[in-house]
Amino acid sequence: MLESIISYGLAVGAVYALIGITYNVMFTASRVFSFTAGMVGMLGGVLGALFINRLGLPVWVGFPLTLAAGAVIGVITEIITVRPVLKSIEQHLYVLSTLAFALMIQQFTAIEWSTESQPFPRLIDIGPGLLDQQFWLPVLACGAVIVGLELLYRHTLIGHAFLAIAEDNYAARALGLPEQSLRMMSYALAGMIAVLAGFAGGEILLAFFGNGPMLNFYGFVPVALGGMGSNRGAVVGGIALGLFQQAANFLFGGIFASVAVFVVFIIVLLARPEGLAGAVAVRRV
Amino acid sequence: MDATTRPLARARPLAPRWLGRMEALWPFLLLGMAGLCLPLLDDSYLGVIATRACIYWVLVSALNLVVGFAGQIAIGWVALLTLGAYVTSVLTAGTAIPALPPYLALAIAAVSGAIFGVIVGLPALRLRTFYFAMTTLGFATIVTQVALAWRGVTGGGIGVPGPVFPEPFDSRWGFYYFCFGIAAVCTWMTANIAASRFGRALVAIRDAEVAAEAAGISKPSLLMIVFLFSGAVAAVAGGLFASLQTYITPDAFTFDLSVLFFIAILIGGRGSILGPLLGTILLTVLPEFAAPLVAWSTFLYAALLLVIVLAMPGGIAEMLDFRNRRPLEQHREIAPRTDVLPRVLARSGERAALTLQGISLSFGGVRAVDTLDLTIHPGEVHGLIGPNGSGKTTTLNVISGYYAPQSGQVLLGAEALPQRAPQRRAGHRIARTFQTPRLIGGASVLENVMIGGTIAGRGSFVESLLSLPRHRRDEAALNEAAMLALTTVGLEQLASVRADRLQHSELRFMEIARALMLSPTFLLLDEPAAGLSAEEIRRLGALIVAISRQGTGVLLVEHHADLIFDICDRITVLNLGKVLAAGTPAEVRSHREVVNAYLGA
Amino acid sequence: MPISVPEPLLQVTGLAAGYGKIDVLRDIDMTVGEGEIVALLGPNGAGKSTLLRAVSGLLPRTGCVRFGGRDLAGASPRDTVRAGLIHVIEGHRVFTQLSVFDNLQLAGYALTRRERGRRVEEALAFFPEIAAKRQDRAGTLSGGQQQMLAVAQGLVGKPRLLMLDEPSAGLSPVLVDRVLAAAGRLRDTGTAILLVEQLIEKALALADRVYALARGTIVLQAGTDESDLPNRLEHAYFGQDVSAPLAY
Repeated sequence: MLESIISYGLAVGAVYALIGITYNVMFTASRVFSFTAGMVGMLGGVLGALFINRLGLPVWVGFPLTLAAGAVIGVITEIITVRPVLKSIEQHLYVLSTLAFALMIQQFTAIEWSTESQPFPRLIDIGPGLLDQQFWLPVLACGAVIVGLELLYRHTLIGHAFLAIAEDNYAARALGLPEQSLRMMSYALAGMIAVLAGFAGGEILLAFFGNGPMLNFYGFVPVALGGMGSNRGAVVGGIALGLFQQAANFLFGGIFASVAVFVVFIIVLLARPEGLAGAVAVRRV
Repeated sequence: MDATTRPLARARPLAPRWLGRMEALWPFLLLGMAGLCLPLLDDSYLGVIATRACIYWVLVSALNLVVGFAGQIAIGWVALLTLGAYVTSVLTAGTAIPALPPYLALAIAAVSGAIFGVIVGLPALRLRTFYFAMTTLGFATIVTQVALAWRGVTGGGIGVPGPVFPEPFDSRWGFYYFCFGIAAVCTWMTANIAASRFGRALVAIRDAEVAAEAAGISKPSLLMIVFLFSGAVAAVAGGLFASLQTYITPDAFTFDLSVLFFIAILIGGRGSILGPLLGTILLTVLPEFAAPLVAWSTFLYAALLLVIVLAMPGGIAEMLDFRNRRPLEQHREIAPRTDVLPRVLARSGERAALTLQGISLSFGGVRAVDTLDLTIHPGEVHGLIGPNGSGKTTTLNVISGYYAPQSGQVLLGAEALPQRAPQRRAGHRIARTFQTPRLIGGASVLENVMIGGTIAGRGSFVESLLSLPRHRRDEAALNEAAMLALTTVGLEQLASVRADRLQHSELRFMEIARALMLSPTFLLLDEPAAGLSAEEIRRLGALIVAISRQGTGVLLVEHHADLIFDICDRITVLNLGKVLAAGTPAEVRSHREVVNAYLGA
Repeated sequence: MPISVPEPLLQVTGLAAGYGKIDVLRDIDMTVGEGEIVALLGPNGAGKSTLLRAVSGLLPRTGCVRFGGRDLAGASPRDTVRAGLIHVIEGHRVFTQLSVFDNLQLAGYALTRRERGRRVEEALAFFPEIAAKRQDRAGTLSGGQQQMLAVAQGLVGKPRLLMLDEPSAGLSPVLVDRVLAAAGRLRDTGTAILLVEQLIEKALALADRVYALARGTIVLQAGTDESDLPNRLEHAYFGQDVSAPLAY
């Protein structure tokens, strides 16, 4: 049973971590948290099932197509829900605009795809048991994203530009960096990471429209606990969450596992509102 | 006609504020009439819809105070509907304890809703917006999960029958009137709150939190009251909902429903009662009249929300706000009337001075203020000047309690003022203005000023809720005091205008009027002349001098050298956090080092 | 035959700007010629930084700004950088997470790789002190070094006019001299400089012409070789007569 907890726990934890990273990428680009992170994650699973199962496309076509869709939705998110409200003084509007768009995505999926969860295609036939692809695929995806982001941020000019925009938006603008297109590209990247999460976790989570709100919440927990913008925190938080959830599941059963996770989350958050990583001082007056 | 003979202006009789932004009572009466007459149509399907709309409005009317007025993004409030529905149903069905009569069950549900509302709302005091929204969603999920799991009591997935209210409310139309009655009462109560100092204080917390603190408003206690009320009412709505459904299961309380309530408020417009009422009716009724739309209803609500956020964040209320579309007079002058001041600044016998002793404060590695000593005497205008980064605003923030010094203390007379407690300054009658005007754009100028006098009110929240005599006395007194303050600063003509339509210079004077509401013994002004024309600066100077002549001690932080040297009795010059020079204007003006500091040699 | 006066490199006419409802600048006229250093002085709150931001496009403005003969109406900071008008903002703000080298690379974001490499090396040559630290994270540099890095970033854009906003702020006198000396060398290579400064003595020593800004308008313009400048400046700042003359 310990095996099962670890394998499931790592797998869903990796999915949560990836959604957390999605939140982070969007946040560092725009200082905005978006409700679309989990929804696009859900789309990763749904589109994967759509392209490969329903339309019969081979994996090496379906997967890039899904990634492309994720990028496109990320860009649309930036254009219609983030960019217009960044100019406004009223800070809270982005919560509403991204929520509205996230709901539209969810409802559209429910109506056009299905309200029932659908099976996700088997991608690589290894397993069952610990080596089953449904377990290590999400972990692999998570590792690949971490490495990829590290390479991007440390060794490419555009990655440096992303870091610059995140650290000091004003100075970046003054330097002549194309702040707007960089933000769009960040959102496209975030969209791709989200669909990757849903795609890699597809066999475990299935292609289900209801995954959206669930991923929104469980993908947010690592961010809240690990600190905003910290990818390392998101990974540690996500894996820890996944393992804790599976352990609680096993010990108490499904319902009380959710309650346990939530209670721990709320307590930690109230004790350390800025996350376990540290405090951020804000000058108000 | 000079200043002393011009009669004191009276504000245009304001429509009772509890009618949102409408001029008259008529929309509510119209809706009321329509509602009362509905049974005459004798369409039972319509009756169900109307009953549902009433029940939703009961919840939304109270949630409106949390979301629309206090600005808290409580998306998951359906948790309280679920709680109320299950508590009422379980208690009347007798699955946990022997069955109770429905009214008692409803009352118990209300109490449990109040408690749970406070629990759900508590994180709002610590967490930022998005985080809080997420936690409310979490609560909503948990409640539904618990309902699903606790099969013995709630019937799990199978559910439990809803309560049935006794005659005459057991018939279809009887129950409708019951819900309609409760909805009407809720409308009246929340409208009373909207027009009370509590409603204004909520909006102040939402839009101008630092200004609210300076006015003495305590965010935690106010939010807790509102969460308590909102939770109780939502639970009652839950009980009614359960009765309407006749049988409830956990999947009746979906994410969609929660979002529906939230969207109704945002579409209706924050800070309004009528707007969310129309929004709720719209969102309940819409899917029914367009059959193919039912499946797409949530999609459409979401799309509508997106459009509202992008195009008209003020919602329906803003669309209906015709009064604030009338053009304002172009060339407006601000003409303060200092003869009115004695009525505004009640002179007390107190002669205590405001003293800073050895104040030091660093940010990071930078010494912002370094062992500063400063005394402001009652009745004097004390200027505080210095180059950028010299610590002027930091000093002001320490005096007003927003920053705590790392050493030293602030004394009022002999009493040390509490550190990092800006909302306690108002009680000591220490008022301030801000470097960038903090205002509530969507409220009128008069309401903005009335916020300054919030702590003068004596009535409790419940008294406001029920519009009892003490509440009405409070309102009349605040109204009059605010008009006096506006007349003093010369803005009485603009009393009923939306504050965000004012010019920058008018906003500066409005802040002073708001500060005057405390009848302050000490007034702290943070660069009040920034952005003013030469003539306006002259009038500002005259006003400040007049205020000080009434016995109020004024601390004037400024860049405008002319104004400082003109009106100050004493001046302190700061440079790099230390006192460079202090004395009369003549002494300071000829001080070599001061000139050097300004010229940066 | 009429001699046509060549248009100055930077020509600002009737410029007004502010933040939201607050008007800070009113009716500003100023020019900067090729290869000259112009100092912009004034007390705090006068609007000096606002003026630079309005010219470089960081803030919206009304009025006319012409650079190198072209109208810069509606230009974003990206456009003005491309045109050769570069703004080094106040506060020596560099990207602390990135190395010195990467900070400079970012300044050349829009260039081809080869051109970018060349210009980065040229900029580093101007400031040998930070060239030695090219792989170090910018966050480890001292304030003065960060200021030099910020100016170097400006140089990567090969400016025809470099606007420096209070480069001396927070620096020790030695470092201030170093930075201002670098500005002088730049002028010698043909780059025009618009220098906003608090340190009047040093600014006057370096500049060819001076503008004084107070309460949102230009209150004085003069060549730095004119007599009695310090007095006239003080008069302009305070708007009152001086009772204790300032003596060097």
